[in-house]
Amino acid sequence: MSAPVLTEQALPPAPAAPRRSFLSGYLRQPVVALSVLVLLVMAVLAVFAPLIADEPAGAGADVLQPPSGAHWFGTDDLGQDIFAQVVWGTRTSMVIGLAASLLAIVLGTAIGLAAAYFRPFDAVATVITDVMLALPTLPLMIMLAAVVSPSVTTLTLIIGFFAWPEVARLIRSQGLVISAMPYIDGARVLGATGWRIVTREILPAVVSLMVVSVLLTASRAVISEAGLSFLGLGDPDAWSWGRILLNAQRSGTIAIAWWQTLFPSLAILFLVLAATLAGTRFNDTRDPRRNGG
Amino acid sequence: MPPGDEVVLRVENLVKHFPVKGRVPFTSGGVVKAVDGVSFDLRRGETLGVVGESGCGKSTLARMLVGLEQPTSGAVRFGTSVVHQARGRELRALRRRIQIVLQDPYTSLNPRRTIREILLQPFEIHPDVLDRRRRIERIKELLDLVGLDPGLHLDRYPHQFSGGQRQRIGIARALALSPDVIVCDEPVSALDVSVQAQVVNLLERLQEELGVAYVFIAHDLSVVRHISDRVAVMYLGKLVETGPEVSLYESPRHPYTRALLSAVPVPDPAGRQGRQRILLAGDPPSPVDPPSGCRFRTRCWQAADTCATTEPPLAAGAHPVACHFPLAA
Repeated sequence: MSAPVLTEQALPPAPAAPRRSFLSGYLRQPVVALSVLVLLVMAVLAVFAPLIADEPAGAGADVLQPPSGAHWFGTDDLGQDIFAQVVWGTRTSMVIGLAASLLAIVLGTAIGLAAAYFRPFDAVATVITDVMLALPTLPLMIMLAAVVSPSVTTLTLIIGFFAWPEVARLIRSQGLVISAMPYIDGARVLGATGWRIVTREILPAVVSLMVVSVLLTASRAVISEAGLSFLGLGDPDAWSWGRILLNAQRSGTIAIAWWQTLFPSLAILFLVLAATLAGTRFNDTRDPRRNGG
Repeated sequence: MPPGDEVVLRVENLVKHFPVKGRVPFTSGGVVKAVDGVSFDLRRGETLGVVGESGCGKSTLARMLVGLEQPTSGAVRFGTSVVHQARGRELRALRRRIQIVLQDPYTSLNPRRTIREILLQPFEIHPDVLDRRRRIERIKELLDLVGLDPGLHLDRYPHQFSGGQRQRIGIARALALSPDVIVCDEPVSALDVSVQAQVVNLLERLQEELGVAYVFIAHDLSVVRHISDRVAVMYLGKLVETGPEVSLYESPRHPYTRALLSAVPVPDPAGRQGRQRILLAGDPPSPVDPPSGCRFRTRCWQAADTCATTEPPLAAGAHPVACHFPLAA
């Protein structure tokens, strides 16, 4: 065999690994850095809640105190510390937010990818997704939560089950673009099975979308959890931000003790805002060359 | 290696109709007859060029040959197997024997995979072909075979290569399982002219070394002439003329072939003087509702009444033509 003639020279070595530069570029944005910081602080609060504050229980002597050095966020009508309630509520909110969002991601990704690649399944999956999206979610969640006995687990399942359709739709639309790429045909001609194509060729292309989805879905799940808890459908054994608001409303202190509603509301706001900003910025920062094409 | 007499791929009356949705819901708007009865034999180590204008069904034909598209009727036979009826182990075996080189080198390689991963993929799908430890060695061999430096490239991504280099990688992937037939679906039409020649020459060299047979689909007549042993001309889903490259190019017998050839630019001003150019009027008719009889009659300058009523068969012989009034050789 004659030596091959190389007329096209190889390009000079590529710049640093794109993965790392992408992450540092993402984190270097002030909004992102701040959001990630908020999320990290919340995560630390959630994990180390027992070390930061005692679990609020029983009645205390200081009733309806405004914020002070002893009670940073004030106390409620039973004399319980609001700061402790918010810290312990972070735990419930984050657990339910993350777990429900993971459940939604797993369901949504599986259904979205299957719909994108297996054409006959697509019609069925699209109809189911559309029906789910058209359902009035909140009333249904309220109904379901009222029927089953409320606990962190059931709340997670209910919220996760109602959150997957949006993920499925997102993943499907990106998956459809990838399924139509010629390299998928190339893999099919080589004899790759549908499972291999979906998991090895299409899935890696939607991973960044999944990261975005986890964050956005988690923030919606946190809101859903707070809403359900405020309506009295939360886990009675676990503190949650919604439950603090519910207590304020139930005891009638909502009109006089502003601190009892302000701090849990701020916690919800910060967590949801941080997760949403981190998610949308991640979406915006994705390198187009390593995405879609 | 000169083409042998053994037929590796036999295409029998292949038909592909795509249903079209009608304007009114739940009605049929007819069918697009993308490929409408194509038959040919491909011999070992031979190159069959398939030419035709856009929309004549070339790519649909290519996709059926490799099993990406299910034919409406007809068969593609490889040895004793029928490509579209094979299942399981038989299908896996067939996949190894028939491969494809895709048109666009920019989208035919997964942008998220390194060259190493792309070239290892065939062996991961068919793990019995080659022992795990020998695979990297084989990849380097393949890169060397397609004229890329085997030492440099393995951990780069496709976007770090030029179009010509990517197409070489695509060819290496197709060659990985040592197929008998490679279907080339416009493998050079997305490349620069200077790179086209390199890739075509590479394909020719690989054929000499490996004895692989090509179905080479293109709309560029000079490229097809350069590489093909035999050429088939396609019009609206049918073959109108097939023949050895020399006789088809030197003495085309179908009016459509003559018209196509007269449109090829001649790079020599002196040679243009005595040349007669045939300009075909209009666009090809719709494949949803092709003309009766001979499909070319609406644009043919020698169409007669017979042409509208009787469809000319592709007559047998060394240089068959589907025309009632074939041009003199």
